[in-house]
Amino acid sequence: MKLYKLTLAALLLLAFPLSASAQTTLRIFTGGQQRPDVMRKIADEYQKKNPNVKVEVEVGGATSEAQQQYLSTVLSSKDSVLDVILIDVIRPAQWAAQGWAEPLDSYLGADKAKIMAQYLKAYADADQVNGKLIALPYFADSQFLYYRKDLLEKYKRPVPKTWDEMMDTAKAIMDGEKNSNLQGFSTAGAPIEGTVCTYLVPLWGAGGELTREGKLNLDAPQAREPFQLYGRMKQSGVLPKNIAEIPTDRIRIDMQAGNLVFGMTWSYVWNRLENDADSKVKGKIGVTTLPHDPGGKSATCIGGWQLAVSAFSKNKAETVKFARWLSSPEVSKMQAILASHMPVFPSVYKDPEVLKANPWFSEALLVVEGAKSRPVTAQYPQVSDVIRSNMNAYLAGTKTTDVALGDMKSRLTPLFR
Amino acid sequence: MTETSIVKHKDLSERTLGILLLLPAALLLLVIVVYPIATLFWNSLHSADPNNPQAEELFVGLDNYTRAFVDDRFWNSTLKTVLYVVVTVPGALLVGLGLALLANQPFRVKWPVRLGLLLPWALPLVFAGLIFRWFFEYKTGVVNDWLAALGMEPPQWLSDPTLAFWAICIAITWKASSFMALMLLAGLQTIPRSLYEAAEVDGATSWQQFVEITLPMLRPAIFVALIFRTITAVQTFDIPYAMTGGGPGDATETLAMYINKMTLDFLDFGYGSALAALMFLISMVATSGYLRYTRRSAARSGE
Repeated sequence: MKLYKLTLAALLLLAFPLSASAQTTLRIFTGGQQRPDVMRKIADEYQKKNPNVKVEVEVGGATSEAQQQYLSTVLSSKDSVLDVILIDVIRPAQWAAQGWAEPLDSYLGADKAKIMAQYLKAYADADQVNGKLIALPYFADSQFLYYRKDLLEKYKRPVPKTWDEMMDTAKAIMDGEKNSNLQGFSTAGAPIEGTVCTYLVPLWGAGGELTREGKLNLDAPQAREPFQLYGRMKQSGVLPKNIAEIPTDRIRIDMQAGNLVFGMTWSYVWNRLENDADSKVKGKIGVTTLPHDPGGKSATCIGGWQLAVSAFSKNKAETVKFARWLSSPEVSKMQAILASHMPVFPSVYKDPEVLKANPWFSEALLVVEGAKSRPVTAQYPQVSDVIRSNMNAYLAGTKTTDVALGDMKSRLTPLFR
Repeated sequence: MTETSIVKHKDLSERTLGILLLLPAALLLLVIVVYPIATLFWNSLHSADPNNPQAEELFVGLDNYTRAFVDDRFWNSTLKTVLYVVVTVPGALLVGLGLALLANQPFRVKWPVRLGLLLPWALPLVFAGLIFRWFFEYKTGVVNDWLAALGMEPPQWLSDPTLAFWAICIAITWKASSFMALMLLAGLQTIPRSLYEAAEVDGATSWQQFVEITLPMLRPAIFVALIFRTITAVQTFDIPYAMTGGGPGDATETLAMYINKMTLDFLDFGYGSALAALMFLISMVATSGYLRYTRRSAARSGE
């Protein structure tokens, strides 16, 4: 018996280094804003199912631009350190042009069409560039109007449908509450990616388009609408005075502290408002579609994060297997419950456990299905820079509508030729 | 005859030894300084097709440089950079000189003063930027809190182009003064005490001592500090990047920030390299001005 145990121990000792050397380590990159804690839990789950794989989670900057700057450095030098990379929905065109992502078509083989048909169409489209599959959808996102249910009830106001209704309601509540910290409405205004949507949402809500058939369409009268809308909001005091300094997560922080009546922001905010220990607004928040112009239709920016396999990964087969699991209904459901990340599969929205954690998901599916894309081009970073810096200058009051719109036109025209 | 040959032989071996000893450093410099700079100039003469960035880069001659001359944003960011230099270099010199004189006083316990001098210098630039961004924050910042306590209307420091410029200048001056002070303190400590004692015997006031002894004796240290500070001021990046991100609009964007955007965000390595070469030129012009001045004043004092 003793001999048997000793033999077993010796065998184990022999076997252990062997199994260790057969282990593959995969490194996944995610942004600080995309709930790396939840990614870790999901990765642990994968490790349990695949004992031969060890997953390391690398956490990058909080903003999409900060992440991309780091990734540009790593990938331009063809570094193999990252295997799976979480990228913003605006990136696939640039990634395809730069050759940073391993095209996944051959891995999916004949099943590609069938597999892609299971996703929300917007993401299946966004991740295929010129017929090549650049990334797999991880979670969906779009902007919503977050509002204070309790304050709307207190002042007997309906949930606003148009921008002007929202402004009136916000103003009435600010006047009634007499709380100098309470602000009516907030959205991203700093010179960051989110501010591109701050311009596009009211433009779309007025029936306008940035481009039409690939050509710039800013001569249309609707192109002035966003400037005029925010101008009115600033004048009435509904917008914070320092709107030009507000980054995306600041809206969540202000809302969570009970200092905001309305906020235009993304789906991750819900989970934080309902679950964070310091949230002062638990159970007081409603989520609805964004306002629009009378006669227009509610619109929203499509967001969300995609799983790209690095073209320089040394373990492509294992990496693709991991990425495909991350892009599954099972993981979509986990994310929805743990982080209120919106699923990329329409079927998961109807899951009772998902709906229990996020009651507003029943309406959200319609919103995501109707969400619009920011311009798709390999030169998106330049396009984004023009829109956000001019919107930011207008919100800061350093450019008038005419100057901001004129500068946007003259700098965007060469990019859409 | 034999003697000279021995000397020659010794000379040669010493030279060989010298060259051998220099070789590792020279090789290292070649790899990490000369090679990247040469690559940068080479890149600045090339351009990639933005719609097909993976294709071979094309030789475009000086196109990238002529593009800079008609690029408003290049001129604006260069102007902003020059303004930061003009304000923060003398600013840091004045504050740094004051700090150095203070630290040179015979304190009984020296380390708290030295630590106070070192701390801003040891802090990463981007941290300093973030700290000052929170100081100047509109609602929760300490600066507006003080202004409100004084009964003044709190301004939006970071979204007004002029105020944002000054807020950034204050942050840079704070950060850079400590380096200035360290350099100047080293210079102060080389001034012999006997000079001051002699001046005191002659009945010179402390202001006269400062002007007649301290400043002239400190001149070499001041010049070295100014050259270092000017070169780093031309490269100003971290503090405005963290405080305003270049906003509002592009109002506080420096040349280094524009280069960063062009290369890392827009991946236009050709044009970005040309801009970097132009920035190098600006640094050269600024420092050669100092060097000419020091050479002239050295020649004058030698007469």
